[in-house]
Amino acid sequence: MSGEGRLAFGRLRSAGLRAGRGAIGQNVGRAGVTLALAFVVLAAGAGYWQVYRAQELSTAPDDPAVVAAARNVVRGRILDRTGAVLASSKKDSNGEPYRTYTDPSMSPVIGYASRQFGTAGLEHTYDGQLAGVVSADPIQQLLSKFRADPNDPQDLTLSLSLKLQKAAEKALGNDKGAVVMLDPRTGEVLTLVSAPTFDASPIANPSTSQKAFDTLRQDKDKPLLNRAIQGLYVPGSTFKIVTSIAALSSGAITTDTSYPQQPKAEKTGLLVSGYRVRDGHHPFTDDRALKFPEAVEVSCNIYFALTGLRTGGQKLADWAGKLGFGHPIPFDLTTETSQVTNGGGKFGGGFKDDVEVANAAYGQAEVLATPLQMALVASTIANDGVLMKPHLALSFSSARNGTHTVAPEQLADVTSPDVAGEIKSAMERAVEGNFGEIFTPGAAVPGIPTAGKTGTAQLGSGEPHSWFIGFAPVDQPRVVIAVIVENAGHGASRAAPMAGDLMKLYFDTFGR
Amino acid sequence: MSAASAQSRPALPSIDFSSIRPRPRWRELWLLLLVGIALSVGSVSLGATERVQAGKALSFSPAQSQPLLAYLGALLLANLAQVLAGRRTDQVLLPAVGLLGGISLLLMERLPQNLVSQSIGGMTLGLGQVQLLWLLLAVAIITVLAIVVRSDAWLRLYKYTWAAVGIALLVLTFVRGEDVNGARLVLRLGPLSGQPTELLKVIVVVFLAGYLSEFRPLLVEQDSRIGPLRLPPVPYLAPMVGMVAIALGIVVFQRDLGAALLFFLVFLLLLYVATARSAYVILGLLLFVAGSYLMYRLFPVVQSRVDVWIDPFRDASGSGYQIVQALHAFARGGILGTGLGAGLPMVGGRPPIPEVHTDFPFAALGEELGLVGVLAILGVYLVVIERGLRIAAAAADDFRALLAAGLALVVGVQAFIIAAGNLKLVPLTGITLPLISYGGSSILANAVVVGLLLALSDKGVEPPPPPRVGGRLAGLRSRLVQSGR
Repeated sequence: MSGEGRLAFGRLRSAGLRAGRGAIGQNVGRAGVTLALAFVVLAAGAGYWQVYRAQELSTAPDDPAVVAAARNVVRGRILDRTGAVLASSKKDSNGEPYRTYTDPSMSPVIGYASRQFGTAGLEHTYDGQLAGVVSADPIQQLLSKFRADPNDPQDLTLSLSLKLQKAAEKALGNDKGAVVMLDPRTGEVLTLVSAPTFDASPIANPSTSQKAFDTLRQDKDKPLLNRAIQGLYVPGSTFKIVTSIAALSSGAITTDTSYPQQPKAEKTGLLVSGYRVRDGHHPFTDDRALKFPEAVEVSCNIYFALTGLRTGGQKLADWAGKLGFGHPIPFDLTTETSQVTNGGGKFGGGFKDDVEVANAAYGQAEVLATPLQMALVASTIANDGVLMKPHLALSFSSARNGTHTVAPEQLADVTSPDVAGEIKSAMERAVEGNFGEIFTPGAAVPGIPTAGKTGTAQLGSGEPHSWFIGFAPVDQPRVVIAVIVENAGHGASRAAPMAGDLMKLYFDTFGR
Repeated sequence: MSAASAQSRPALPSIDFSSIRPRPRWRELWLLLLVGIALSVGSVSLGATERVQAGKALSFSPAQSQPLLAYLGALLLANLAQVLAGRRTDQVLLPAVGLLGGISLLLMERLPQNLVSQSIGGMTLGLGQVQLLWLLLAVAIITVLAIVVRSDAWLRLYKYTWAAVGIALLVLTFVRGEDVNGARLVLRLGPLSGQPTELLKVIVVVFLAGYLSEFRPLLVEQDSRIGPLRLPPVPYLAPMVGMVAIALGIVVFQRDLGAALLFFLVFLLLLYVATARSAYVILGLLLFVAGSYLMYRLFPVVQSRVDVWIDPFRDASGSGYQIVQALHAFARGGILGTGLGAGLPMVGGRPPIPEVHTDFPFAALGEELGLVGVLAILGVYLVVIERGLRIAAAAADDFRALLAAGLALVVGVQAFIIAAGNLKLVPLTGITLPLISYGGSSILANAVVVGLLLALSDKGVEPPPPPRVGGRLAGLRSRLVQSGR
């Protein structure tokens, strides 16, 4: 353009000269060239913003087009596994859509999509699919200019059951805690409850958004924390299943293994490197040295401390790693990393010393696990040693793209079906056995063989956390459950009966 | 200069209507047809985009094109009227200006109509309809001026009267004007309201052309000597000092930075055109820099504008919002643009850029037509400027040359200031993009500019009057002629 401008103004100058107005004609030409140069600067400025800075500015999160895509598009619905609507959209007075959510029990999982506060939870994970924004593929982007509606919002069907979710939330009542239920054969998560929960609808509603969010952020009970996947808890005796997998799989023990010093140690404490591991005495087992199934049934800490020492820290950590400890679990939501130790120690597997291994083996020391992680431990046993990848998204569907189903995936082949079977029957004894019934009251689903393990997570102070992990039916498990109730005392008292009720509801709802 | 004075005084010609012969204007007609095709393609594209966005089936709707057809019809009528009038005026200016006006019409139809609502005779008109009325009126003004103005005596002889009108307008605006965004921009007289600076810019050019053409010999050939320094004749620097004073006055009292910058730059350019003395320009620029610095220190409004200009992203949701949004719009447009009607994502039911129809049409077009469209629009402005300056270079005497040059420069400089403001090349000011921004004052004032340029381009009729004999300059001039020759 500059070249043309110069040419044109050059001709103009000579036209002026020809007309006999020499001086002014020349000056006019110079003024014209000056202005033309100024326009070249304009063109360069336009090029700077429209080419050089275009990508950066047009994809910035506060670009109105980016905001509008999220805001003007009617997002796809979110449904539970039976098709019940969990999240849908309404329109405000400007005709702009906003989200409403069916039930607060789902909020920690689904999260929210808010104009002011962005997205969280599954609304965040599947933002692209729900808003149906076009791909980064430049050809697709160009083609989308010719489409009436460049967005293709998809409906998201979850594996969750609204009915179970509501029941679990109600069962937790005013307590803090979490419930995870899943199908061990596929990894489909049926329930992912965190209590206390919150109502996401006021956050998504533009007129109440700010106030609702401020209130939630200030809540000292931290309802925005999804305890089921981000809460790290001392697992207590439920961790003995992890120790069992490591010990039996590595051959450190068999189901017949017993420790002669165990009965005495129950009274005096077990001396490990000068440090005493203590355990309450089981009066009903007399002075018998317990074998593996009995040790699980009565939840003998001394037995598992000795088993942990025999297995060794390295192997304990290895098998825990196969189950998901030590790294984030691949999931639809961001999970907190469970751990068997703080790491960095010289004693195999990152443990500090053998005292830590002995205590970790029955779920104390520095062991921390999320409820989802403990559900996966039970799931591995229930599914004959194979850990399926847990997932929430079952399928995506839209009018334009049809339905796309999420296939189950295997996450890890943790142990053999034989070892899984041995632990499975021990866990069945823990629920259904003569002593088990005393330790685990109410966990058994009437008429359906049930397996499980309680846990009583001893804390430095205050009431212990009440744990239960289990599954049913024992021969072909279809449902796995992990329950934790914070500061609710022994696993037997709160978590176990709750798990029994919820598994019963599962079979009542989805058939026996 | 001597050529003009050597001519004998011609008799004042009177219009002999029997001598008017229709003269075909094929070039203008062909160019207008090209403009019509381009605008029609834009209109159909816009209509299709809007129908699709409203979720309707794609179909051609004649109702959509009616405003554009009315506008194109007016342009063809303007061509026809000029053919019948038989004047030998420029044939490129009208199509070029017509294209800019047509782009304006499409843009104003595309923006939310509720940005403007005007009641006329019980009917409420929206943005596009009002702009259409202004554009039709503009075409009429251009045509009438192009046909009717055969003598420049009414401009040439009454320059001080015009200057007085201009000053009166300024004073009236200061006393009775209304504030828009902190600047006193709008004057309301009875049912009429408008931005006086738009009219003022034409008046200023007329005055400067008259003054400079009269004093040109002195400004070119005389020097003041202060010791060893050769300076321009100080007494005749009065208009420059006056202009700087007016510009400063506008800024101080009306806080209208854009108009001040426009007047000052046009004045400097015109001074250069008249004298070819860079000393004036340099002196003027020095004054400008000093004045700017002083204003930056003295006036918070100037300071905040400059600070926002330097880094608008620092307060992107506050003081820098408008310009940041404009830059985002340019960025979204990229090279090819989103297409007419497909850009400008709405924020809370309004376009993302506040005052898009008056201050930021360039950014809106940058988004929807892309860099390609931006370059094309800049090119059309250059065509308008080039035609105007060509008319100036070929003019029969100094007054006409300076008037034509001034009119062309005022359009070009104004387009530059606001486009550069949109692109963050200079601090943002609230002036309009000539012939594209919404607004009666702006459209009509620029129509007057174009109409006068067309009239000035006619080489056929009425030579300029001879330089005035008598008056206070006569003696000086004759002395000059005697001593110089």
